[in-house]
Amino acid sequence: MLKRIRGVVGIVVPALVAVSAAGTVHAQASAPAEAGQPPVVTEAPPPVATAAAQAIVERTCRRCHNDRLRSGNLSLAQFDVETAVEQAEVAERMVRKLRAGLMPPAGVRRPDESVLLGLAEELETRLDAAAEANPNPGRRGFQRLNRAEYARSVRDLLALDVDAGDYLPLDTKSANFDNIADVQMLSPTLMNGYLRAASEISRLAVGDAAAGPVEAAYKVPRWVSQREQVEGAPYGSRGGLSVTHAFPADGEYRFRVSFHHETTGELFGSGRAALHTAERREQLEIAIDGERAAAFDLDRWMHVSDPNGVNLWTDPIHVTAGPHRVSAVFVPQFDGPVQDLISPHDWSLASTSIANAYGFTSLPHLRDLAIRGPETVTGVSDTPSRARIFTCRPEAPGEERGCAGEIIGRLGTAAYRGPLTAANHAALMALYETGREDGGFEAGVRMAIEGMLASPRFVFRFEEPPIDVPATASFPISDHDLASRLSFFLWSSAPDAELLDLAAAQRLSEPAVLEGQVRRMLADPRGEALATRFAAQWLRLPDLEALQPDVRVYPDFDEQLKWALRRETELFFLHLLREDRSVLELLDADWTFVNERLARHYGIPGVVGPRFRRVEYPAGEPRRGLLGHGSVLALTSYADRTSPVLRGKWAMEVLLGSPPPPPPPDVPDLEDTVVAEDGRLLSVRERLERHRASPACASCHRMMDPIGLALERYDVTGAHRLWDNGSRIDASGELYDGTPLRSAADLREALLRRPAPIFRTFVENLMAYALGRRLEHYDMPAVREIARAAGTAENRLSAFILGVVRTPAFRMKGGLAGESIP
Amino acid sequence: MTLITGKHLPRRTFLRGVGVSVALPFLDAFVPAGLNRARAAAARSAADPTRLVAIENVHGAAGSTAYGASRHLWSPAAEGHDFDLTPSALSPLESFRDVLTIVSDTDVAPAEAATPPEIGGDHFRSSATFLTQSHPKQTESSDVRAGISLDQLYAARFGQDTPIPSMQLCIENVDQAGGCAYGYSCVYTDTISWASPTEPLPMIRDPRLAFDLLFGAGGTVEQRTARRRERRSVLDFITAEVASLKRDLDPVDRRRMDRYLDDVREIERRIQRVEERNTSGEALLLPGAPAGVPDSFDEHVKLMFDLQALAFEADMTRVFSFKLSRDATGRVYPESGVDRGFHPSSHHGEQQARIEEFARLNRYHVSLIPYFLEKLRSIDEGSSNLLDKSLVIYGSPMGNPNVHNHKRCPLFVAGGANGKLPGNLHLRAAPGTPMANVMLDLLHRLGVDDLECFGDSTGTFSLSA
Repeated sequence: MLKRIRGVVGIVVPALVAVSAAGTVHAQASAPAEAGQPPVVTEAPPPVATAAAQAIVERTCRRCHNDRLRSGNLSLAQFDVETAVEQAEVAERMVRKLRAGLMPPAGVRRPDESVLLGLAEELETRLDAAAEANPNPGRRGFQRLNRAEYARSVRDLLALDVDAGDYLPLDTKSANFDNIADVQMLSPTLMNGYLRAASEISRLAVGDAAAGPVEAAYKVPRWVSQREQVEGAPYGSRGGLSVTHAFPADGEYRFRVSFHHETTGELFGSGRAALHTAERREQLEIAIDGERAAAFDLDRWMHVSDPNGVNLWTDPIHVTAGPHRVSAVFVPQFDGPVQDLISPHDWSLASTSIANAYGFTSLPHLRDLAIRGPETVTGVSDTPSRARIFTCRPEAPGEERGCAGEIIGRLGTAAYRGPLTAANHAALMALYETGREDGGFEAGVRMAIEGMLASPRFVFRFEEPPIDVPATASFPISDHDLASRLSFFLWSSAPDAELLDLAAAQRLSEPAVLEGQVRRMLADPRGEALATRFAAQWLRLPDLEALQPDVRVYPDFDEQLKWALRRETELFFLHLLREDRSVLELLDADWTFVNERLARHYGIPGVVGPRFRRVEYPAGEPRRGLLGHGSVLALTSYADRTSPVLRGKWAMEVLLGSPPPPPPPDVPDLEDTVVAEDGRLLSVRERLERHRASPACASCHRMMDPIGLALERYDVTGAHRLWDNGSRIDASGELYDGTPLRSAADLREALLRRPAPIFRTFVENLMAYALGRRLEHYDMPAVREIARAAGTAENRLSAFILGVVRTPAFRMKGGLAGESIP
Repeated sequence: MTLITGKHLPRRTFLRGVGVSVALPFLDAFVPAGLNRARAAAARSAADPTRLVAIENVHGAAGSTAYGASRHLWSPAAEGHDFDLTPSALSPLESFRDVLTIVSDTDVAPAEAATPPEIGGDHFRSSATFLTQSHPKQTESSDVRAGISLDQLYAARFGQDTPIPSMQLCIENVDQAGGCAYGYSCVYTDTISWASPTEPLPMIRDPRLAFDLLFGAGGTVEQRTARRRERRSVLDFITAEVASLKRDLDPVDRRRMDRYLDDVREIERRIQRVEERNTSGEALLLPGAPAGVPDSFDEHVKLMFDLQALAFEADMTRVFSFKLSRDATGRVYPESGVDRGFHPSSHHGEQQARIEEFARLNRYHVSLIPYFLEKLRSIDEGSSNLLDKSLVIYGSPMGNPNVHNHKRCPLFVAGGANGKLPGNLHLRAAPGTPMANVMLDLLHRLGVDDLECFGDSTGTFSLSA
């Protein structure tokens, strides 16, 4: 242990001022560590007896957590280690703070770390034993399919990619996840959304020869660079957009592209402002499935006051039904750097009123693409969805009903995620008959599919209690329900045939079979959901969507880069998963995933092309793990400056599971502190120091800020930097436990020295996501058990996932509390 | 979030424009169903609330200049009942003067710059102030902030009894992502409706999309009828499913399914309501409904008015906000006889001829309103007509566009408002009167009578002389 005899230097937590400084000094560690190399804190320090643990509570904790001060709104005046189990919620809070090294707070004399961990250990032992004697698997109401689960279920059922956001309202999040059952409200709006989705999706899947013309428009955000190729677009193109559009029928469609214009109405990027106006006209092509379907020469003098404005229409183009990739992209007319008075940046379009000055080369920007049709429907060609649906084709009217029954039986089993009863089948067949009377065989099948998609058996995930079990008793969930829990946990989608077959044979709950299935599912492409949904939400990656760094400071930040930042982190997690590596690599991996754009941003040489690939950081590159990911660094920044506070908060919340309390009211914003002094702009660090001068703020900021300050060498976009507002970056600080920090590497080492909270926080998030409920204090023994077991398996990701799957909380459902039974 | 027929960009090119998902009745989606219904029932007892349409145009008016005021290019010379509209851009409203109230010379001070970096950014800030009368926070990030808008205050109270509490429509293309200029997020320019100070509501530009949301999908009368029939079969099917499911559920889940059945019945009720009213509705608009956005401004605006009248008639919603234009647009309106674009024309340099030219543009815009008023008047409502039960607000948060000021801004209201407005009235406010005072008075008259202040209001400005 580092020897920690610290005088009361600088600011003291105000609560402590009232307390006598003459607290008892605890025994120091018996074996002082070698200087500079603190040993890793293991989970099993020398145990202290119950009496010793109680002594810490009385002599150390109660100095602030007493009835009078109630620091952190907590009094431990009545807390007794002997009966900790009776105050399990409080005890769990104590364990959390102690394990993370957050208590006693910075600036306060603290007993030796092993003594503190001894108290944690003592509490854990008691809590774990009580939980083992009396397990509580917890319970939740039924979940409904959220947008992501709905879209994936439709994809797996009907081979159709849809965006559920087109139909369903935004999912409410709780504990940072979008699948938490008790905030999934039902409402007529939601009901209407599911009904509309069922109607539209069944039509897209079967095809709709009666479809009339409608217009679909796809917008291009201004921040999409028009110099680089966009994902999915034909090679050798630049800018524009590329989308997969589901065409309802074979027929004629027209495409409209519109462009951004200057506030005065001229086409933006007409070239008239450039010093050397390009000789050749800009050209734009519409490609369908990569094949050119139309090409335009852009009229440089287009103007909003023209009859057609800054829009161009294609002639009608024949397109077959089903999904097709439609790209509207520019044909590059030059390559390489541009010689002009002002060196152009990456050609996103921050504002139409900048970058049109004389001597500034700019490019036209696509504003949106609209697809209008179909006119003159000629039929419905075969599509992947139709191949999936129509596995039989009736040759005579007499065969129709039999064929429909077969289709409905197969799709219904998949849609309802379990065996179809005769009554279920009959109900769907009744819908088939209704549709068939109106429009024949295919219309009947479509109607049955609409019913399946609208059925509560598809939209909701019910878990049936076994017969003859009192409502208050816990019970193991059925194999079919287990199959669904597994598939929605690992795939965010419905179980596949293999899972359903094993469930039907009641074999899925056999330990060996279960483990085999988990490993199979993780290796399956659908396992990507753990990266793009679980990890993304845990790490707060959706916050990137709202991010837009100040264009005057970061002119090169464009949409492609933002997307690459998020993709890096997703691929990084996916790689950990697929290679089954240690969770600690989240923090110290010396590799990552980049494409050319991101490699340029990070300064990693030798990466060419848009494909992401794994790279080892070059020698001398200090980046390691998540704390070096641009995504994390950017989503914890403001538009025009970094925020050590947000970065510190992120680490405490996301990695350590100990979010700092919200700021007290009436706290002046950092923006309100002085920006300059002595004729010089202040760095973020200096402004923070002034902000922290307030004692009310200091107590929390002393925990958050040093974490973030250690990351100050990364700017708002996550790029490396040496200067901030003209001052050389100073990344030094002192972690809440007193560890001196000089750089991101020091921070990483300090965090890794105390890995228990990192593992447990990871498990907590994984469990909340897997269970669809927030974790409660009674879940913490299971969390510790999973982390312990994973520790014996080199902390591999699969060990954590299997641990969650095996835990009673996942396999069982708790009984109802008496009062909730009507 | 794109609004158009449910298409949407993939995530990589997708920018969360404005948070809340489109056109979904805002309250409904986030408030437990039971609570919402209680509120709707309370509103129902108020019976037949006034239909509200709030129309914004940008770039102020020629009449807000010194020269324009002297020539009465917007405000008539006389106050009271005997005003002469002949020289004014309001002259197209002559035949509706019995339901017309003109309020001259109110200011939209919240649209003025409050700090040096805001100076010059009027075009990118003004629209957010019109119905909120609040000063928008200068930001290009997602931390946008203005105020709750008049239409949303009204819809929260009186819009909950219809299938769609309120709807937002616009004519010009919007960006809805990133910044526009002068450090302002595009949402300030793109929408006039704010569900809360931090929740701008996206506006729908495609009349077909608005139609589908109001009256159901389907290109023809037959298709829509067939779809409603199908929807009913599906609802019956769901009801039976729930009945069989409930047997296997625990008591808590069972209770939740009971509430779900309430939702099923609510949807059935809505379908029924459309069917009761559809004969007139279908005939009014179809088969002329276009596949997408018409190229002509005139045609587009009139189609949007058709939709609003139709929605009122079928009682699908009672609240619309309607944005006629977008700040700094250079659009040319051939029907106006002016061949200069809207924005260039608005910077008239205080030249008399140019101001008069700009007044012709103003008159053209106002001339589209009688089309809507006439339509409302033609819809029979027993002893009265829809115009008598409606309130149409038309105004601009800018005054003299040449200097980007927000003084003496154009504003008039039309419609009987269920007898709450006397009409045939021209009122001139004392210099410096906030437009918010007029809006507060309107809200009180509309039944939001417990509201003590609105935006930067300093009191109420009575619209009954």
